[in-house]
Amino acid sequence: MLKLKTKLSLFNLLSKIIFTALFLALMPFLIQRINLRQVDNDLIQKREQVIELISEIGIEPFISSDSSSSFGSYNILKEEFISLEKINITEDLNYIDVTPRLLDEEETDYRVLNYSFIVDGQKYLLEVGTSLNSILRTEKNIKRLMLLFLVSIILITSFADLQYTRVVLIPLDKIRDKLKQISDPGLFEKTPVKTSTSDFVLLDKALIELMNHINLLFQKEKEITVNISHELMTPVSVLRSKLENILLEKELDPVVEKKTEESLTTLHRLQSLVSSLLMIARIESHQYLREDTFSLKDLLTEIISEISPVADDAGIRVLTDINDDLTVSKANRSLIFSLFFNIVNNAIKNTSRGGEIRIKGKRTNKGLILSIEDTGKGLSDRQKKMLFERFRMKDPASNDGTGIGLAIAKSIADFHEIKISVSSEPGKGTMFSFVFPENS
Amino acid sequence: MNVLIVEDEKSLAREIEKFLHSENFLCDLAFTGTEASEKIAINLYDFVLLDLGLPDYDGLDLITEARKMNSEASFIIITARGDVEDKVKGLDLGADDYIAKPFALIELLSRINAVARRKFRVNTNNISLGDFEMQLQSRKLMNNHHEVDLTKKEYDLLQYLALNRGKVLTRHQLYEHIWGNILDDQYDSNFIDVHIKNLRKKLNFHSPTPWLETVRGVGYRISSEEQD
Repeated sequence: MLKLKTKLSLFNLLSKIIFTALFLALMPFLIQRINLRQVDNDLIQKREQVIELISEIGIEPFISSDSSSSFGSYNILKEEFISLEKINITEDLNYIDVTPRLLDEEETDYRVLNYSFIVDGQKYLLEVGTSLNSILRTEKNIKRLMLLFLVSIILITSFADLQYTRVVLIPLDKIRDKLKQISDPGLFEKTPVKTSTSDFVLLDKALIELMNHINLLFQKEKEITVNISHELMTPVSVLRSKLENILLEKELDPVVEKKTEESLTTLHRLQSLVSSLLMIARIESHQYLREDTFSLKDLLTEIISEISPVADDAGIRVLTDINDDLTVSKANRSLIFSLFFNIVNNAIKNTSRGGEIRIKGKRTNKGLILSIEDTGKGLSDRQKKMLFERFRMKDPASNDGTGIGLAIAKSIADFHEIKISVSSEPGKGTMFSFVFPENS
Repeated sequence: MNVLIVEDEKSLAREIEKFLHSENFLCDLAFTGTEASEKIAINLYDFVLLDLGLPDYDGLDLITEARKMNSEASFIIITARGDVEDKVKGLDLGADDYIAKPFALIELLSRINAVARRKFRVNTNNISLGDFEMQLQSRKLMNNHHEVDLTKKEYDLLQYLALNRGKVLTRHQLYEHIWGNILDDQYDSNFIDVHIKNLRKKLNFHSPTPWLETVRGVGYRISSEEQD
């Protein structure tokens, strides 16, 4: 997985390198062509000069018309030469080719222009040559310069590309961060990201609108849950009062008494479910305040003192190792109390006689961590997955009530941005870990 | 004592009336806020049980009105809303207590009695339970002039049973009274059984406790004095 700007920059760099490589592959051929043409033009120019000279001063200064000698002139380094000789062929010559010449017992390749012309009825051959060595040297120089230039261009433009891509993509990064930071659509930042790229404006706008829409739906759903729960509470109240009044009748038939109590128990279940749903809906719609600062150790001590009679009765030891200096802030104490009370109580219910519950709290580099570990029957992977779901399918062997307790725990943790993780091994036990957010 | 029950859910109002009547209260009913407002203006009540969710009235206004008329009635707010805000507002306006629907009738009675104890200093006598004496003022349980060492929860449990002497209290009623709604799944909790077990153990160490009865399948009861 690569970042967009990395991908773009890499692509830019790669395409430049490919183009340059292609160019470098073709360059010798091109340069040779250009160079050769240039050399040929030079040769032609020199020929013109020689011809002009001859037409001005005649051929005699170079070759006397009667002798059969020839004329030749080399420059000092033998890079160029001009030669004139009489020839006796009928056809006209005018071409440029490469021919080896023997000079001081050394054979050197020359680019040679051959040109025939007639002066006073005598045909002469003019040869103007340039050593290929000098041509190759020029070619080499051009190549070197070109390479240097191309490499610098690649480096400079790639750097510029990288910077430009980075700057252009800043709004996208911001939009991504906006999405990443939130755990709830309601928390999505409503102020649009500043950008001159219309695509980002559209993206940001679409996201804000989508979040608002989702939020509205969530709000409605929560309102409906709250309202339904309220409406359910009234008939439950009436029913409860009626049953309780029956139970208070004097000289009640024991069978009726027992049946009435059973009905009350069922009604309590209903009440408990409705109030749990109401509580979750209230937590999720942020109807609770987060204004308390308290010591985690004090809170857990309080919970354990509440719960220890039950733990003692079940023959379960509760061990704690919580640092004194762990303070939780920006929290709702009674909700956090509820959260850990339920987790500890749940642990007791799932642990058999002689077992242990270990509660540890410490500050690590990840933040404040509280773990609650039991030596109970543990959870299967399937159970673990469904642990925090509302009204999950119950394991028929367990007696963990309506199963909504952990859903409440989850919503309380989410409300406080506490991360819950569960590790468990069937038969060995379960550990719940709670990582508090940095700012608390 | 005179009680006005302000509750728009008629059948609930009638059940509360029936229950309080059996507890020797004189009850009056108002199903709307207007009706309640008129009745408070005319009659003298010791208690007003006020449901905040009235169709025609903001229940909290009734408290303000009553205070303006120098009514001495104690207000106990009943609401299904359970909003912390309402609770705080109500108590600020001078309500004496707050109870959320659905509540146990016994719990309502115990709230009324608690307010009455504070206000009229009634029912403050010590309660004798066999060889034990419960001192309500100092929250102590004495046995032959020795204090029995009880935890706060154990004392609360015993006092609640003692104040409702002769009535069977279900585990839920006891749980709700003592723990409120900490646990989500109270219906299968054995908190009460464990506490009663511990209580019995502690008390039996001093003297037998035949008065603390288990009513099989229903709950617990402290037998009425005449049965002692």
